[in-house]
Amino acid sequence: MKTKKLLLISVLILAVVVSGCGGSRSTATGDKTEPKKVLTISWPLDVGPLNPHLYRPNQMFAQDFIYDSLVEYGEGGAVNPHLAESWSISPDGKIYTFTLRQDVYFSDGSKFNAQIAKKNFDAVLVNRERHKWLELVNQIDKVNAAGQYTLEIIFKNPYYPALQELSLIRPLRFLGEAGFPEDGNTAEGVKAPIGTGPWMLSEYKQNEYAIFSRNPYYWGRRPKVDQVVVKIIPDGETRAIAFERGDLDLIFGSGLISLHSFSQFRDSGKYQTMISGPVATRFLAINSNRGPTREHAVRVALQHGVNKQSLIDSIFYGIEVKADTLFSPQVPYSDLGLQPYEYDAGKAKSILESAGWVQTAGQEFRQKNGQLLELDFSFDIADDVQKALAEALQGELKKIGVKINLIGEERQSYQQRQKEGTFNLIFGETWGAPYDPHSLVSSMRVPAHADYQAQAGLPMKAAIDAKITEVLLSTDERERQELYRYILSTLHEQAVYLPISYSTNLAVFHNNITEVLFDPQKFRIPLVDVDIK
Amino acid sequence: MGRFVARRIISLVPVLLGISLLTFVLIHLVPVDPAEVYLRLSQIPPTDEAVAVIRAEMGLNKPLHQQYFDWLWKVVHLDFGKSFVTKKPVMAELLYYFPATLNLAAASLLIVLLISIPVGVFSALYKDTAFDQICRILAFIGASMPSFWLSFVLIYILSLELNLLPAFGRGTLAHLVLPATTLALGAAAVYTRLLRTSMLENLNQNFVLYARARGLKEKLIVVRHVLKNALIPVVIAFGMTLGHMLAGSVIVENVFAWPGVGRYIVSSIFNRDYPVIQAYALFMAVVFVLLNLFADIICATLDPRIRLGGDK
Repeated sequence: MKTKKLLLISVLILAVVVSGCGGSRSTATGDKTEPKKVLTISWPLDVGPLNPHLYRPNQMFAQDFIYDSLVEYGEGGAVNPHLAESWSISPDGKIYTFTLRQDVYFSDGSKFNAQIAKKNFDAVLVNRERHKWLELVNQIDKVNAAGQYTLEIIFKNPYYPALQELSLIRPLRFLGEAGFPEDGNTAEGVKAPIGTGPWMLSEYKQNEYAIFSRNPYYWGRRPKVDQVVVKIIPDGETRAIAFERGDLDLIFGSGLISLHSFSQFRDSGKYQTMISGPVATRFLAINSNRGPTREHAVRVALQHGVNKQSLIDSIFYGIEVKADTLFSPQVPYSDLGLQPYEYDAGKAKSILESAGWVQTAGQEFRQKNGQLLELDFSFDIADDVQKALAEALQGELKKIGVKINLIGEERQSYQQRQKEGTFNLIFGETWGAPYDPHSLVSSMRVPAHADYQAQAGLPMKAAIDAKITEVLLSTDERERQELYRYILSTLHEQAVYLPISYSTNLAVFHNNITEVLFDPQKFRIPLVDVDIK
Repeated sequence: MGRFVARRIISLVPVLLGISLLTFVLIHLVPVDPAEVYLRLSQIPPTDEAVAVIRAEMGLNKPLHQQYFDWLWKVVHLDFGKSFVTKKPVMAELLYYFPATLNLAAASLLIVLLISIPVGVFSALYKDTAFDQICRILAFIGASMPSFWLSFVLIYILSLELNLLPAFGRGTLAHLVLPATTLALGAAAVYTRLLRTSMLENLNQNFVLYARARGLKEKLIVVRHVLKNALIPVVIAFGMTLGHMLAGSVIVENVFAWPGVGRYIVSSIFNRDYPVIQAYALFMAVVFVLLNLFADIICATLDPRIRLGGDK
C-alpha cells in the first residue's frame, strides 16, 4: 500500500515535470514549406498586443515591423514619401493633403485607402487625452477622406513638425479593417495586428517568442529573409551567451547587452560589430528651483567639475561620444556653435569659492552660511548604467567639495520625483530622431516632466515656454531657427542641463549576416535588407 | 485523520482573512497613488482632473473599509481586476504563467529528492567517513552559492563550452535541466544536512536499539523506522521551500528566460501594477498555507502521534 502511495507521488511529480515539455519546438509557422531563411534576434520584453495606436506594453520595434507610416524620416531629418507618395501644404500651413499610394494592401489582402486611413486617425483622435504628449495630435482638428486615395488633415494651427511626427512609430500608423474592435475604439484593444508593413505576426507565445513572416502583400522592397524570430530573453548576459552559442543571429539596439560584452565581442574579432552615430543625448537635469542648485554659479561649477571623457572611457568603454550640448549638432536647428563647459576642476572650485561656498581645512564638503553643499541625485535603481554613472559622479563631485546624496528608487518613485521636482540632479535622455528637438522642447512646458521642474527656477522660464509655443507654430524657417537659438542657448547658458554623452545603437552579428544598417530613428530595427549567407 | 484535516482547514479561514487584510493595507500604505500609476502606464498625463476621474472609477474615494470589502467580494468571485499594463484579467495572467513555474518547481523538487535523500541517509550511516566529509563540504558550497552566479557558471560550462544543454527558454526536457538544477542545488544542500542530522538523532533512539535486539535487518531498520521518523522535520521544511519555488524564482526565471510567475511579478512590481501585486500576494499566501496544510497531513500520516495527540 505504501509503495503504491510512493509510486503515485513520484508519478505525479514526474507528470508535472514532463507536462511543461512539449518536445522540440520548430520555428516554422505551421506552413508545410520549410522557411529558407530565418533570422533570430532577441528582445528583453514581450512584444505586446501590437496595437498601432497605443504604447506600453507594445514594443516599438515590433509595431514598426507591422505598421507603416504616411511618411518616412530619413537621413539628416529629411521627410520622404512612404504610404503617401506626395503631399501639399496649404499657404496658411493648416491643411495637409496627402496623395496615397494605390498599390498598398494590408497583410490580410484588404486594400489600403483614404477611408481606412481616416478611420485610423479618428480612432486616435477620439482618445486625444492619451496622446496629449504628442503636439501633433493636439493640433489636428479633423481628417477627411477627400478621395479614394486623397487624405486631408486639417490643423488647428500651422504646426511645422507635422510631417516629422507623422513618421513616428506610434500612435499614427494604420490598422486593417479586420483588426478593429466592434466599437472601433482601439484604445481598448485590437482584434488582430494587421498592417501594411514588411512583416506580419505569424506565431506568438506570450513572454517566450514572436515569429514575424514576410507580408506577402508588402508594397515596398521585399525582405530578404523569410522570417524573423524574436526570442524574449530578459537578461543581457544570457542574451550575449545565446548569441555566442549561435542561438541568435543578431543583437541590435541600445542596452540589450552590457557595453563590456559588446567590447569583448568587438575585440574578439570573431563577430561583426557596428556602432551607430549619435541617436540621443544622456544628460543630467539640474534643478534651478531647489536648494543650492538654484544658484547659477553652482550649476556652472557642476558643469566644469565633471570629467565626462573619463566617465565615458570607464563606464561606456569609449563606445559613446562625449556630449557638450543638449542636442548633438547633427540634430535639426541645433548646430549653434555653443561654447562647451570644459572639464576644469580648478575652475569649478574657484567658481564655488566666489559664490561663497567655501571648504575650510579638515572639512570634506563646502559650506555657505552654515549650509552644506549637498545635492539629492535621483536615479532609477533598476538601470545599471544610471547606477554606475551616479556612483562615479558622486566621486567626481566630491573632489570639488560637493556632497551627493544618491537616491536610487524603483521606476514609479523615480517618475514621481521627476513630476514633483524633488531632486537636485536627475538623469534624462533626449528622445532621439525624429522627436528631437521639437518634441523634447515641447514637453519642457509640461509640469509633469523633469525638464519643466528643472527649469522652473529660471527667471526667464515664462519667456522660454512662450518661445517654445511660438517655434512649434512658426511657418518661417528663419524665424524658427532664431527661436531655437534663443531656447537652446538660454538653456545652455543657464546650465540646467549637464550633457554627458551621445548614446548610440549597437549591432553585433555573425559573419554570415549581411546588410545590417542603422536607421535614423532610434527605435527602429530595419531588417528588410538584412540577409543570411 | 478526517477530524484532524477538517480542524486544520477551518483554522485556515481566519489566517486567509488576515492575509487578505494585510495585503490590502500594505498596498495602500505605499506612497504613490494607484490612480496616478494607472494613468502613467496608460500614457495619459496624470493631471489633477484625470487623477480624480480614475480615482472615482477605481473606487479610491470610498472609505478604506468599504474599498476592502468591495475588493474582498470580487476576490471571493476570483475577480482580481485587470492589469494596469496589459489590461488583461489578472487571474487569467497568473494562471497563464503559473504552469511554467509549477513545472520548474516540480523538476527542482525531484532533483532535491534525488540528491538529498540518498546523500543525507548515507552521510548519517557513514558518519565522519571521507564520504561524509566530502558531502559536508559540497553541502556548504551548494548552500552558499548565489543562484545568479551558479546560473551563469552552469550556462557557461554546460551550454556554451560543452554545448550539452540549451542556455535559455522553455520547451523540451533539456530546457528544464539547467534552471531546475540551479534552483535545486541550494535546497538539496540544506536538506542533505537536515536529513543527516535528523537521521543521526533517530539512530540513537531506543526504538532502533530494540529493533536491533529483535534481530531486524539493518536495512529494514533504516528504511522503515529511522528514515520514516527522520523525514518529519524535512517534510515540514519542504513545505516552505516548495512555496518559495512556486512563488517564482525571480533570478533563475530571468537568467534562463523562463516564462514563469517570478518574471511576471518582478515586472509588475517595477511598474507598480497594483492589481497584479495584490493578487499575487494573496495567491502566494494561499499556496503557502495550503502547502503547510499538506506538510502537516503528510507528517500526521508518517507519525500517528501528531494526529492522535491533536485529537485528545
